[in-house]
Amino acid sequence: MQRETTRSRIVRGVLLALVGLFFLFPIFWVFLMSFQTNQDILRMPPSLFFTPTLDNYVALISGKLETNAGTLEIKFMGNLLNSFILASCSVALSIVLAIPAAYAFARYKFRLGEDIAFTILSFRFAPPLLVLVPLLSYFQMIGLVNTYIGLIWVYQLITLPLILWITRGYFEDISEDIEHAHRIDGHGWLKTFLKIAVPLALPGIAAAALLAFIFAWNNFVFALILASADKQPVTVGALAFVTASGIQYGQIAAALILSIIPTLIFAIAAQRYLVEGLSLGAVKG
Amino acid sequence: MSNLVLDSVTKIYNVKREPDVLAVDAVDMTVNDGEIVGLLGSSGCGKTSTLRMIAGFEEVTSGDIRAGGRVLNDLAPAARDIAMAFEGYALYPPLKIRDNIAFGLLRDRRPRAEVDAKVKEIAGLLDIEDILDRYPPTLSGGQQQRTSLARALVRSADVHLLDEPMSQLEPQLRAILRARIKDYLIQNKLTTIFVTHDQTEALALADRIAVMNDGKLMQYATGDDLKDRPANLYVASFIGEPPMNIFRTLSRSGGDGRRLEIQTPDGGSASALALDLPVGTVADNDLTDGRKLALGIRPHQIRFGSFTALGPVLSGKVTSNQWLGDQTHLGIETGSQLVIAVTDGTVDAPADSDIEITLPLDALHLFDGDSGEALHHGLNKRDAAA
Amino acid sequence: MTYLNLDHVTKRFKRETVLDGVSLDVERGETVAIFGPSGAGKTVLLRLIAGVLDPDEGDVRIDGRSVVHEQPEERGLGMAFQNFALYPHMTAFDNIASPLRALGKSETDVRQGVERVAGLLQIDHVLTHLPKALSNGQKQRTSLARSLVRGPKLLLLDDPLRNVDAKLRYEMRIELPRLLKQTDATVLYVTQDYKEAMALGDRIAVLDENRFAQIDTPATIYRHPATTKVARLLGDPTINLKPTRLGVDGNGASVELFGQTFPLEVEPVDAVDCLVGIRPEHIKVSMTETENGQPAELDAVTPLNVRSVLLLKTPDGGEFLASCSEAEAARFPRGHRQVWLTIAPEHLLAFDAESGERLGQRSAGGPAP
Repeated sequence: MQRETTRSRIVRGVLLALVGLFFLFPIFWVFLMSFQTNQDILRMPPSLFFTPTLDNYVALISGKLETNAGTLEIKFMGNLLNSFILASCSVALSIVLAIPAAYAFARYKFRLGEDIAFTILSFRFAPPLLVLVPLLSYFQMIGLVNTYIGLIWVYQLITLPLILWITRGYFEDISEDIEHAHRIDGHGWLKTFLKIAVPLALPGIAAAALLAFIFAWNNFVFALILASADKQPVTVGALAFVTASGIQYGQIAAALILSIIPTLIFAIAAQRYLVEGLSLGAVKG
Repeated sequence: MSNLVLDSVTKIYNVKREPDVLAVDAVDMTVNDGEIVGLLGSSGCGKTSTLRMIAGFEEVTSGDIRAGGRVLNDLAPAARDIAMAFEGYALYPPLKIRDNIAFGLLRDRRPRAEVDAKVKEIAGLLDIEDILDRYPPTLSGGQQQRTSLARALVRSADVHLLDEPMSQLEPQLRAILRARIKDYLIQNKLTTIFVTHDQTEALALADRIAVMNDGKLMQYATGDDLKDRPANLYVASFIGEPPMNIFRTLSRSGGDGRRLEIQTPDGGSASALALDLPVGTVADNDLTDGRKLALGIRPHQIRFGSFTALGPVLSGKVTSNQWLGDQTHLGIETGSQLVIAVTDGTVDAPADSDIEITLPLDALHLFDGDSGEALHHGLNKRDAAA
Repeated sequence: MTYLNLDHVTKRFKRETVLDGVSLDVERGETVAIFGPSGAGKTVLLRLIAGVLDPDEGDVRIDGRSVVHEQPEERGLGMAFQNFALYPHMTAFDNIASPLRALGKSETDVRQGVERVAGLLQIDHVLTHLPKALSNGQKQRTSLARSLVRGPKLLLLDDPLRNVDAKLRYEMRIELPRLLKQTDATVLYVTQDYKEAMALGDRIAVLDENRFAQIDTPATIYRHPATTKVARLLGDPTINLKPTRLGVDGNGASVELFGQTFPLEVEPVDAVDCLVGIRPEHIKVSMTETENGQPAELDAVTPLNVRSVLLLKTPDGGEFLASCSEAEAARFPRGHRQVWLTIAPEHLLAFDAESGERLGQRSAGGPAP
């Protein structure tokens, strides 16, 4: 055990503050922008001192954007709802599909098992644009363009591999003996899966679901091409602020802040599980 | 060098936002020149902290560590002339086993021929001659531990410190390596302090053993004394495999002497063992009426059969009779208590059979039931037999 | 009557053969200790019987019926694991109750069953605790309770005392036989500790290098080990093994050891190079010269439990370990001294130097008839 001198404590504190500043400054700046008018934002040099205004938030929530060119209708709240529906449904579907699959990959050695698992992961490598153009024409043929179902299906490319690979690791970390013990007690494999494996991997599942939710929430390109205005998530909806009369920086900043809030709430709610997930080792055996 | 003295050595760890931890509590002990001393206890008892303070890796919170009258407290480890074998081996991975062992000798600028001879000798002692040209990562844990031991023993430092030196050794090699190492330490007059949680190892190697518990030194004595004259109930029920049988008793006055009655776990008195001690066998004030006492006897001092002249006789039922080749362990249920008896030979007493055992008075130990301090070792058999 | 029968069971992982055609018959109600060094395949063997692994070849029969095609939950046996394998998210009560709930018992029956076995193992007071709140000893008892609660006919214990401290391990070693007898179960007990194997097994099956080297009673294995490997695995201190030559003449076989000739009670074989084995407790050490005594130097005395180990060097440079009682050892002070040792020839064992098999035995290990 090393004793810490006062000096080393101070040096460490300063370094941590610098790192924190570096990462948090953009978010802080955006937060300030969301309370500024476009004039304040574009003023040179930029200043920390301005008269705060809630106009940006009012415009977003009421859906009416006043610009020099007149009043614009924006559907920001609708977009927010779309984002929420798309991300949560995608994650829910992925959990249902990926968890049994992850368990199978973790516990059973079957022919081509590793290859299949890797193929699923490789979906993450493919540049989305490459897939999107053919996908668009297929979707047009079968009528899935601009539907929630179509989008949720495509979103599986993002969420499914993520959840599958993260939870697979957690399943592998559970001592096989614990599951064997449950089988020997007289329970079938399905019951062992549901009563032992899933509860013990829950921290991992929660962590994976949160990450997948964030990735789905932040997706831009799938929705840009496959959805029109009424199914657009916030990421695409924000394009509306690039208007004929200029870019509405204030509203964009406010939209950003509003769209961070749901993921932030999830992250805080899931934090307990995330920490538990990291200390799973202490529970094993 | 001369004696190593620990004078009221205390170690307190301060961890932020947590209560201070008293790891070593005013330990006094002297290690004589050439003596082999074991620090024995379960994990967290303070034995490793003590060793690390002697090595100089930990600061002493209060008290002194002295060698030949010189206070070592503030001396850096390198200035103390110690050789150490670490629990995690700490071998140098890019060096061959041969060079790992020779490292300290070469640093001391000893002639190459002498170094080679010493490495050869210690390698033969520890059965690692055949791996001298290999590298540490390719070896089993047992081989690495033997190398680490060789590196510490090949030097002749003022003090040799060994941290759990034999915990990973192959079971079939343990007995012979212990014997060879002990012989080597004695022949080379190496002052040695080793830490272990394994009493078998401590008893096998050490001239004296410091039994530690909760940072405190419970007893510092030879192995024989720990077994035959344990200072307290803690040592009595810790030392020995199996350890001493302990009977909780109450003292009652009666007849011309004192009567000890065995208590059941719930505090009532059971009559399985009633021991009449004539006046004068032990100090009277030790047997005041109603005093809580504990009676102990080592398992292999229990005699099979009824020898009333030797001491009280118990009858019971054999619960297990386990022959282990060179000794037999019996579990015997007497009243509410399981008594364990050990003998060198075999015993013809299958499980569930009835058996009589004698507890010879001169093998009985008396402890205070509350403080656990030892009161008497051996209750006078001459008087009691009358 | 045979209750459990392993019939030439082979298990491979990839290219590596872990069990090579092993066979074993266990009588109803018998306790057999599966003993061997780590990596010998003991744990795999238990898992094959439990059904969580499948054999590549051979058959496993319980009470006459082949079970290799049955799922673990259909086999109705109890198993305790070395790492306890408790369900971390369930209380001790729910852990123990698991086998009863699998049978669909009513909650009243479950409660009764759990409380009965918890009382037997003295863990009644911790039933509401989660495993992480239990001491190692309590975890181990909870795990045993779970394996016993259903009253299984076949009980598999996988080194259950490995992860508890020395004192507790000793106490359980004394306590277990009575507990096992109360259950009436047929027991396979896996251990790496020869003392546990000898103390608990009616018979010991010594598993070494993927096969059974010997299956017999503790006394027979200890006194008449089939191979040098078995001889070295049982006994602490380890048996002394010295290379020599077995001579045969009209009077029978004999070996030479430090210049003396000892008759050997083996069936006459041809003269061969052999290893002669003598257990440390069969070497008598005396401080005064004795008849036929071999002079030697006593180098070190190391106490071992209730006995003491003596390191001896004979003039020819040979090294022997002897053991004696604690009281006898008290005569030997620290440092070197001259002693005389005597060996009773009836305790000598001779092994083939090449194969390691004991000479003159009628059948060399293998499966029990």
